[in-house]
Amino acid sequence: MDLIGILLGGCAAGMVLFIVSVGLSVTMGLMGFVNLAHGGFAMLGGYAIVLSMRHWGLGFIAALALGFVVVAALSVVLERTLYARLYRASELDQVLFTIGLVFVMTAAVTLAFGPETRRVILPAWLDGQMDLGFIRYRTYSVAVIVAGTALVLALWLGFERTRYGARIRAAVDNRRMAQSLGVDVGRLFTVTFALGSGLAAIGGGLGAEILGLDPQYPLRYLAYFLIVVAVGGLGRVTGVFVAALLIGVLDFVLKIYFPKGGTLFIYALTLALLLWRPQGLFGRRAA
Amino acid sequence: MSLGQAAVQRLAGRHRLRWWEALPWLAAIAAFFAFPNHLAFGTQLLVTILFALSLDLVLGYAGIITLGHAAFFGAGAYTVGMLAQHAGWTEPLSGLVAAAAVAGAIGLASGYVLLRTHGLALLMLTLCTMALLEEAANMASAFTGGFDGMPGLRFAPLLGAFAFDPLYFRSQYVYALVVLLACFVLVRMLVHSSFGQSLTGIRENTLRMHAVGAPVRARLVTAYTISAALAGVAGALFTQTTAFVNLSVLGLDRAAGVLIVLILGGYGRLYGAFVGAIVYLLLEHLLAQAYPTAWQLGIGLVLIVVALYARNGILGIADAMRSRGGRAG
Amino acid sequence: MSAAAMLETRGLCMSFGALEVARDLNFRLLRGARHALIGPNGAGKTTFVNLLTGLLAPSRGSVLLEGEDVTSLPQAKRVRRGIARTFQINQLFRGLTVLENVCIAVSERLGVGGAMLRAAGRRSDVLGEAMRLIDMLKLGADAGRRVVELPYGRQRLVEMAIALGLAPRVLLLDEPAAGIPSAESHIFLDAIAGLPGEIAVLIIEHDMDLVFRFASRITVMVSGAVFAEGTPAEIAANREVRAVYLGSVLDA
Repeated sequence: MDLIGILLGGCAAGMVLFIVSVGLSVTMGLMGFVNLAHGGFAMLGGYAIVLSMRHWGLGFIAALALGFVVVAALSVVLERTLYARLYRASELDQVLFTIGLVFVMTAAVTLAFGPETRRVILPAWLDGQMDLGFIRYRTYSVAVIVAGTALVLALWLGFERTRYGARIRAAVDNRRMAQSLGVDVGRLFTVTFALGSGLAAIGGGLGAEILGLDPQYPLRYLAYFLIVVAVGGLGRVTGVFVAALLIGVLDFVLKIYFPKGGTLFIYALTLALLLWRPQGLFGRRAA
Repeated sequence: MSLGQAAVQRLAGRHRLRWWEALPWLAAIAAFFAFPNHLAFGTQLLVTILFALSLDLVLGYAGIITLGHAAFFGAGAYTVGMLAQHAGWTEPLSGLVAAAAVAGAIGLASGYVLLRTHGLALLMLTLCTMALLEEAANMASAFTGGFDGMPGLRFAPLLGAFAFDPLYFRSQYVYALVVLLACFVLVRMLVHSSFGQSLTGIRENTLRMHAVGAPVRARLVTAYTISAALAGVAGALFTQTTAFVNLSVLGLDRAAGVLIVLILGGYGRLYGAFVGAIVYLLLEHLLAQAYPTAWQLGIGLVLIVVALYARNGILGIADAMRSRGGRAG
Repeated sequence: MSAAAMLETRGLCMSFGALEVARDLNFRLLRGARHALIGPNGAGKTTFVNLLTGLLAPSRGSVLLEGEDVTSLPQAKRVRRGIARTFQINQLFRGLTVLENVCIAVSERLGVGGAMLRAAGRRSDVLGEAMRLIDMLKLGADAGRRVVELPYGRQRLVEMAIALGLAPRVLLLDEPAAGIPSAESHIFLDAIAGLPGEIAVLIIEHDMDLVFRFASRITVMVSGAVFAEGTPAEIAANREVRAVYLGSVLDA
C-alpha cells in the first residue's frame, strides 16, 4: 500500500477519534470532570445508528441524526441526575463512578444485543471507491475525512464567532470568573455535555467500519480517547484535532510497518510528551 | 482528665494492637483446617489482600490516584517467572526479594518522574506506564512467553522442606499467609509512624504540607516506591503459588480489579483491603463464571452507588452505623 | 546603629500578565520586629507574603533571609530556614483533629516528619510541644475534635498554632484576626506577646485597633508598591495615607 493510501487511512481513523473525543475534551476542560464513560456514549450511539438502519430501514443520514438525538437526550438525563452530584467530589469518586457507568453500559448492551461485532450497511453512495485524481480510495473513508474536517471548521466557527462559544471558552479558562460575570455555568455544561455526547454518538456510528463496534468498544478505546484528550490539551478543539490526527496516522502507519511495537511506541510518546508538557500540546498551564 | 489530655491519650494509643486485630489472622488459620479443598482460592485471596494493601498505601494514605498499579504486580510476577524459567533461580524466598527489588526500582524511577504531575496528567501517565510494560512483555515473547505466558513453572521447596503442592495448595497457603503477615506488619508500622501521618497530611492539604516545610515530593516518591515493592511481592507470590504467569498480571483488568477491591472494603484504613478482597473474590467466585455479563453489570452498579453514597466502602458504612448506634443508644 | 534585617527584599517585582502586582519592593523586616502591613484591598499584600514565602516566584528582585539569598528556594526549604506563615483563608488538615494538625507541624520542625519506624503516638516530645501550643491558644478543649467540626474562629487559632509549631524566626500572619470573634482576638495577641523577642513578626491586617496595639512599625502598600512607612504615630498623622486608605479607618 503506498504512502498516500496509508496517510488517508490514518487520517480517517484520526477523524473518527476526533469526532468522538472532542466532546470529552471540552467537557473535561469545562468542568474538570474525568469522564471515563465517554466512550460508552459513542458505543450507544453506534448501536442506535446501526440497528435503526438495519431494523427500521432508516437512511444513513437519518440514522446519524437519530443517534445524535437519542444519546444527547440520554446524556442530559444522566448528567442532571448523577454526574452533577459529583462535580465537587474527589477525582477518585469521579473515576469510580464513570468506570462503573462504563461497566453498566457494556453489560447492558451485551445483554440486550449480544456480544458480536456490528457492521454498518453502507448506503450505495458511500460504498465502493472514488477517484481523487491522484489515487482511487475508499469512498467511505474519504467521506469520514470530509466530515471530520467540516466538523472542526464548524466547531471552530462556533467557538470563535458565537456568544455561546465565547461563554464556553471563558468558562474553560476561568470558571469562577465566568460565573461572576453572569454565565450560567451549570446550564452551559449540560448543553455542552449533550452536544459532546451526541457528537461521540455520531463518531461511534460513523467510525463503526474503522474502529469497529461491539460492547467492549468503550473499554478497548478508553486509553486512546484519553491520550488524544490529554495530548491535545483540555478544552482545546484544535488541540484535539491535531492530537487525533497524529495518533490516528501514527497508529495506522505503525500497525503496518511495526505491528509488534506500534502501540508501545504510542504509549512511550504520550509518556514523554506529558512529562515534558503536562498540559498537552495546546493546553494552558494551570494557574 | 481534661479534654486535652484525653485527646493526647487517644492519639498516643492509636498504634497499639487491638484485640480484634488478631481476628483476621485467626480466621485465616482456621480456614486452613476448615476448608482444605479450597486452599487454592484461599491463596489467591491472600495474594489479592497484599496487592490491595500496597495500593492502599499509595491511594488511601498518600492520595495518589493511579490506574496503573498492576505494572508493579506484573513486574514482580514476571521477574520471578523469568528467573525460574530462564535462569534456573527457583528458590522462592530469594525470588520474592528479587521481585520486590525490581518492582521497587520501577516504582522509584516512574514515581520520581511521574509525581511531578497530578490530576489527569498523572492518571494518564500511570495508565501509560502500565500499558508500556504490558506491550513490552507482549513484544519480548521470547522471554515472557508473550500472550500465552509461561505455564508449568517449577519452584524449589520452601526452606528446602515444604514443596508447593499443585493439588491442595497447603504449602502455598501457609507461605502466602506468612508473607502477607510480614508485609502487613511493615505497612501497619509505616502507617502509624510520623511518615504515615505526613502522607495523610499530603493527601488532606498538599499546600499546607509545603508550608510546614515537608519535602512533599520525596515523601510521595518514597511511599510510591515502597508500595511498588509490595505489589511486586504480591505478583511474585501469584506466580509462585500458581506456577504460571501471563499478560493478565498487567493490564487494566487487574488494575481496575484491585482498585474495586480496595474501594469496596474502604481505603485509607488498613483492613479495608481484607474486607474488600473477601467480599469481592467470594462474589466473583460464585457469580462471575456463571453469569459474566450480569456480574459486570452488578459491579458497575456497585461502583456507581459507592461513588455516590458510600465512598468509604464497607468499613465506612460499618463506622457510620456504629456511630449512629452509639448516639441513639 | 543599624539593626540587622531578618528578612529583606530588594527590587522585588512580579506581574500577572499585564497586571503588575509587585513594583520594585524594597522592604526590611528587622530582628524582633512587630511590623504591620496595611493597605486597601488588592494592594498586593498577600501577593507580597506569597513572594516572601516562595509560593510565588518574582519576575525580578531578590528575597534575603538574614543576609542569605533565598529567592530560588521553594516554600518548604524556606520554612526549614525559619519562615512560617498563616494563610488568609485557612489551610488546615480538615479531616484530622486539632492535635494531629499541630503534631504534623511540630514533627516537621523537629525533623522527624519522615521517620518510619516509631509510631507517631510514641513521640512524647512532639505530643508535649503540640499540647503546649494548643493550651497557649486556649484550644485545649478542642484538641481531640476534627478541624472541620470547629467554628471558623477557632480554626483560625489552629492555623496560628501550626505556624507557631514551626518555631520560626520570621512569622508572617495574613489577616490572622479575620473571623475571630472580638472577644477572643486577644488570645492570639497574647500568644504573639509571649514569643521570644528576636522573632520578627509581620502582620497583614485591616483591624486598625489591632494594628496600633501590636505594631511598632507600619508599612502602607498601595497598588503593589510601598506607599509609606514609619512608626504608628507617623502613619496616623500622614495626610496622604488617610486620603488613600479611607481616613475614617484610621480615625477609628
